[in-house]
Amino acid sequence: MPAAIRNLRSNPHFLFVRLPKLLSLLCIVVGVAWLLLLPLNEYSRRTYISENALLPGQVHAYFTGSEQNIFRGYKKELEGILNDETKDRAEVTAGYVSRGGHAEQLLILDRVSDKVQSIFEEAGLKFARQKYEYNSAGITHQGENSYAIIHAPRGDATEAIVLVAPWLTADDKLNLNGVTLALTLARYFKRWSLWSKDIIFLITPDSKTGTQAWIDAYHDMHPASVQPLPLKSGALQGALVIEYPLEHRFQTLHIVYDGVNGQLPNLDLFNTAVSIAGGQMGIGANLQEMWNHDDSYENRLQTMVRGMTKQGLGYATGAHSSFMPYHIDAITLQTKGEGWEDEMALGRTIESLCRSLNNLLEHLHQSFFFYLLMQSNRFVSIGTYLPSAMLLAGNFTIMAIALWMRTGYYPETKSVQTKGEKAPAEEKAKTSNIAERKLALPLSLVVGLHLLGLVPLWVFNNVSHQYFTTITFVVLGVDIILPLSLAAILSNGLGLSKPLIPQQYHLIKSFSLLLLGLSLSTLATLNFSLSFMIGLLCTPLSFMTRLQGAAPARLATSGLGLALLNLLSPPTVLLGVCWYTGVSVETVLTEAAFGWDVWGMWTQVVVWCVWWPAWLIGGVLLGSSIF
Amino acid sequence: MSTTPSSRNTMKDRGIVVFGAAFVLRLLLTCLFPALPDLLTGRVEVSTPVNSFKRLQEGLFLYTRNVSPYDGGVYHQAPLLLPLFALLPDAKSSPLPTAIFYFLVDLLNAYALLKISQSGQSVKSRLHTAVRQHVRWDGVSVAAWFLFNPFTIATCLARSTSVFTTSGILFAVSNAVGGNSVNAMLALGFASYLSLYPTLLFIPLVLLCYDIRAQGPNPPKIGLYVVQHAGLLLASIAGLLGLSCLITGNFWEFISATYGFHLLVPDLTPNVGLWWYFFIEMFDSFREFFLGVFWLHLASYVGGFTVRFQRQPLFVITSLLGVFAVFKPYPSISDASLFFAMLPLYRHLFPLMRYTFFAVSAILYSSLLGPAFYHLWVYAGSGNANFFYAITLVWSLGISILLADAVFAALRDEWEQQNPDQKGAEVRQV
Repeated sequence: MPAAIRNLRSNPHFLFVRLPKLLSLLCIVVGVAWLLLLPLNEYSRRTYISENALLPGQVHAYFTGSEQNIFRGYKKELEGILNDETKDRAEVTAGYVSRGGHAEQLLILDRVSDKVQSIFEEAGLKFARQKYEYNSAGITHQGENSYAIIHAPRGDATEAIVLVAPWLTADDKLNLNGVTLALTLARYFKRWSLWSKDIIFLITPDSKTGTQAWIDAYHDMHPASVQPLPLKSGALQGALVIEYPLEHRFQTLHIVYDGVNGQLPNLDLFNTAVSIAGGQMGIGANLQEMWNHDDSYENRLQTMVRGMTKQGLGYATGAHSSFMPYHIDAITLQTKGEGWEDEMALGRTIESLCRSLNNLLEHLHQSFFFYLLMQSNRFVSIGTYLPSAMLLAGNFTIMAIALWMRTGYYPETKSVQTKGEKAPAEEKAKTSNIAERKLALPLSLVVGLHLLGLVPLWVFNNVSHQYFTTITFVVLGVDIILPLSLAAILSNGLGLSKPLIPQQYHLIKSFSLLLLGLSLSTLATLNFSLSFMIGLLCTPLSFMTRLQGAAPARLATSGLGLALLNLLSPPTVLLGVCWYTGVSVETVLTEAAFGWDVWGMWTQVVVWCVWWPAWLIGGVLLGSSIF
Repeated sequence: MSTTPSSRNTMKDRGIVVFGAAFVLRLLLTCLFPALPDLLTGRVEVSTPVNSFKRLQEGLFLYTRNVSPYDGGVYHQAPLLLPLFALLPDAKSSPLPTAIFYFLVDLLNAYALLKISQSGQSVKSRLHTAVRQHVRWDGVSVAAWFLFNPFTIATCLARSTSVFTTSGILFAVSNAVGGNSVNAMLALGFASYLSLYPTLLFIPLVLLCYDIRAQGPNPPKIGLYVVQHAGLLLASIAGLLGLSCLITGNFWEFISATYGFHLLVPDLTPNVGLWWYFFIEMFDSFREFFLGVFWLHLASYVGGFTVRFQRQPLFVITSLLGVFAVFKPYPSISDASLFFAMLPLYRHLFPLMRYTFFAVSAILYSSLLGPAFYHLWVYAGSGNANFFYAITLVWSLGISILLADAVFAALRDEWEQQNPDQKGAEVRQV
């Protein structure tokens, strides 16, 4: 071992140039391999209930029999009003959801709200409404929430559970059965004396805006365009969203759990839902749209990757997502498939879930908040999966440190000679083996490009939605021109500055990678998946450098490299993903702007202020070898 | 320093540009992001129980209604701040005057720093001349480092009352290097009156004053000189305490609410320091003992640094400020920013420092991860106190590395000055 270290010291080229590259590559390979190992039995764990108070499925659910007649009655009444109204669209007054000029428009009208109110009030609940309006990317979203509260007979109104039934599901389908079920459950729950927490029934016009407006107003954090809530209860302990958009019996339950910015609900809530649906009720539970999960490695990996994609993009996957930023654990229960489970089975599942939540003595805290699920009963926790994103982030840091050392201790004389440039006088004259570094220009370039990221961030969140496609192509053009022109200015001066010396290129790269590694490792603790995705897309940046060598080969390599690098630029990746999934760029960006304005989603900040600047600097370095 | 009139003029122009730009930047940040000051005021990294602007507002509210500001146990700052802020318009309804007042204090601090740098004491004192004395930044650059440091800007926008302590310390030093020892003692008295811990700077400061005085004709005896100045310091503190007594009426109440609070550390709100977590974990029976140990530890650096660096008293002050930023009971980023402000005076030591990159990386990492982990702990509820404490350890480690490295560089500089033939030789442990 000491001999190996001595060998290293005597071979500075290996120590400062080759070794960091090898280490970086090793980090990347191990990081990716680590993620691929997770679905194996040895690395993942079976889920279990940590919170003893939950006691899932330990009580008998009584929601059967005559309640079904009530359900049918309510449904008929609501259906009647809806049909009347859709025939006579001229009567549109207020409270409709406009979907940005899209064909699908659902008219939730005052009369339906009045009907809901009369049902809640007949059942003996306190009822209130809330109007709201949001503007994003030139589209107005407005609507009216209605909600009712059962005051707990055994509680003191300090804690509450929320049941949400949006009129439109996350896939924009009419959720008539879900709303009716909520109304029936309200009447049914009201008669029980065992509740120790208030139960709030929230009927929102859609899954995107309604819950957000309501939960913001519940905590008095709402913008001016949202009305305050006239009626409130205690601290919310959990929320369940009911979605039953089918007109027939269903086969299985789909549990959606991803929150805004990749926040997740406590794993105990998910486990309780799986255990009640699967164990007590005998309905299967699925996740991440994996309908035929055979527990094989491929299926586990696919489930995990789907979960990571949703988490990484950070958008709201359903009405439950808006609860997560307020530390309220929430999930959506969606009915899927054609089978023999009816609305009563769903009702019993929800009853049993509410009973479990009702048992809670304190906020859900026992189980994991950071996990990746790969099957309804298998997961990995943060301690197991975090190293993979950290290794990816670490590869940038290793490179940054190595480049810093290299600028100080390893003379670039060889490269200077081959390039035919004059070595700076200081470098020749230096007596000690520590060179002075010229920091001003690299520092200001890196900081400046990071600040430049604010421009696309502002533009994409503030212009109207019809310009999004055009602007994406403009950014694509900028991505081609800007690195080349910056490289030309830096390497030739063009009368604006002195040409850069090799050390400064290393410093530019060092600072840029340092910031990238810094941001990604911080991000990994908040949103693992986003950090991993960006890290993976940025891996080539560790190896971008100013090429040396004879002109034709150098030009060809750097030209090819730049073309390949452009394939990994943020706008190209966006276009590629849109092309692959068949979603229009405008839709994606409108959703992103909506997320920024309403949900408080910050995926864009990471893209434009972390990924884009780092990518630009990679382009500048590679581009500089042309000049 | 011999500067030609023209170069002095360009210096002046640059100074105006830097100070103006710093002012405009702060003004822009306040006007473009009106929520920013209040956000920063609420951050635990910026506001501690002893410098929080929010708590000052509470004290002010009670004071203007003729109730003792220390009733309610929220306000722990010096009473003299109250009449001062009572003169300014209400910060809630019209925040701009208060903000501009803070901007001006920041500019004054930078001016004091500029004077310190221009005196050249950091490279050439009475008993020591640095080997690389020509490798240095001019006063304007040093002031710019201070004014454009994000930590300074955050402190200023958060309207933390630490900036007044900073002013006291910086003016004490700038008066000391300017040969005005009486004013230096008065300024140090002001800083000590505000936050207690600057008293520990007395010995190096009086040595610094003596150095300047001894370069003049007939230097006095050092013992007598120190005693005289200690008297001056005590008199200035006593004067300020007397004034405070007039304001509050109840002497012991205000002493126990301010200095008692500093000394006994009853409020364990998280901050970037090391004390709060220790004292949360500690059994009550050991509390007094460890309070003593922690304070003794903090104070012990004064003796060691002063003896070892007696020929460079200004460096003793700089390194002590670094020690305070890590080890004082309620540190905030403003203490770190003061240390970072003094470091560029020692530009000539930078080539000798070995771990700057690692220290700066650690500080950068912790300043990004700190807020993230605090968010996970307090808002998302998915982390716990250990997350944030781990990051404050990294933060302290970063500053400690920087400090230790600076001390190493200063020692090396002294050694090279004594052994000119060894310049540039590699260090080997003997």
